[in-house]
Amino acid sequence: MATEHIEAHEESHPGPRQYVIIGIILVVITGIEVGLFYIEANAALIVWLLILSSLAKFLIVVGFFMHLKFDDRRFALLFFFPLLIMVSLVVVLMALFSTLTR
Amino acid sequence: MYFDTTVDPHRTSTGLNNRKMLMWAFLGSDVLFFGTLIATHLVYRGQSLVGHQEDIFSIPITSISTFVLLMSSLAMVLALSGIQRGNLQTMRLWIAVTAIFGAIFVGFQMFEFHEFVQEGLTPRTNLFGSTFFTMTGFHGAHVTIGVIWLWSLFFASFKWKAGTETALHVEIAGLYWHFVDIVWVVIFGIVYLVGAYGAEDRLLPPVSALGG
Repeated sequence: MATEHIEAHEESHPGPRQYVIIGIILVVITGIEVGLFYIEANAALIVWLLILSSLAKFLIVVGFFMHLKFDDRRFALLFFFPLLIMVSLVVVLMALFSTLTR
Repeated sequence: MYFDTTVDPHRTSTGLNNRKMLMWAFLGSDVLFFGTLIATHLVYRGQSLVGHQEDIFSIPITSISTFVLLMSSLAMVLALSGIQRGNLQTMRLWIAVTAIFGAIFVGFQMFEFHEFVQEGLTPRTNLFGSTFFTMTGFHGAHVTIGVIWLWSLFFASFKWKAGTETALHVEIAGLYWHFVDIVWVVIFGIVYLVGAYGAEDRLLPPVSALGG
């Protein structure tokens, strides 16, 4: 039974091949980010696209490379609760100092 | 054979490995630490009255160092995958690759700092310099500690036998390493790219890149 559990768990974790594919996806997103930087377009749109692409990379690394997608939910809580406080802090401070509208 | 690090070899009251939980708690606190540094930098953006600001960034060079750090994260997870499958040789190879990529990243950062100082931007020059060097300096220190940790794992592994306990050593170091990577993902996206997007001469290479 223990062996079955371990085999089932092994299948739920990505293998080396999947990790390489995830790595390629991260490189492609970074390439898109750098490409966006050199595009002359609506500044607000580009800024939002850059923020979203950073967020995508962040979630991919946390979910797959740090295994939060597969690990116990309490680890995710330990990490995402401070993250929520941090993001709130950044947004509130930027609003307070009018940086969001500069 | 597969060594599952989500199954704790020692009985704990939570059913979770204490060391892994401690690392996640530390990473949670480090999120707040870097959050304050990034928030301070963003709040003071555009407030400097003298000296260089985002116009000094060399996006092509920083893109390369970002690529190197991303690849180090891939190498780290391949090292973990190796030891979880009982292959110490594979683990050692990828741990060494991760540490070398980490050292290359630190080298890029030292080069960048040197160029900025040459162009007159130091932590004392303006608000931008103070917050930028503090934020990226602490990140560089984290990477340096990570590189030392990885080499210590590399050399210690010659006395190891593959198992759940040793796989945990690598997984915990990997959590730290990937965290350092995601902090850089945020700094590169928000501070470098978004910050420099508004710079009027962003399409021109910085003076230093031209050898001037």
